[in-house]
Amino acid sequence: MSTLLTVARIAAAVNVVLLVALAYVWGSNYRRIRSKQTLGTLVFAVLLLAENVLAFYYYTFSGLELTTPAARAMMLLQALELLAIAFLTWVTYD
Amino acid sequence: MEPVLWQVLAGTRGGPNRARILRALDERPRNRNQLADELDLDYKTIEHHLEVLEDNGIVESTESDYGAVYLITDRTRHHWEKATEIMEEVQS
Repeated sequence: MSTLLTVARIAAAVNVVLLVALAYVWGSNYRRIRSKQTLGTLVFAVLLLAENVLAFYYYTFSGLELTTPAARAMMLLQALELLAIAFLTWVTYD
Repeated sequence: MEPVLWQVLAGTRGGPNRARILRALDERPRNRNQLADELDLDYKTIEHHLEVLEDNGIVESTESDYGAVYLITDRTRHHWEKATEIMEEVQS
């Protein structure tokens, strides 16, 4: 169970870093182009950032007692999210 | 096409510079060197942005005596109102 949560925790931490990078780009684009579209991407990044900060907190400090299947589910969700965000970061920094 | 314009011009790190390139090409077709001079950007940067714009069908190039000359595609012209809206905002 602890290995699964460690993987989930690392994925959440990387997500936080990538989302800060995305919010930086989308935030500076929003400052230049004040539109619904640029605001939308910025809000999306900020909320997903909050989700990952919260996830990292739950995996690390909250002392949740998860069963192994539950921990595996959390790990898989977090890892898939990492793939999605990594791809978006790659495209955004091109 | 409109989502592509938004993504390429306003959703990426290079978006604002790509909008500047598009505006310069709206005045008249130019080659890479002319764009680099006009916009005071590195030749490599111009090259990269043009590649992205071309991949997305926003600009196209034709060969001339002075190398490839870039111009705005008909597809982009078809959505010119939206493109202008994005570019005008980037200017300020």
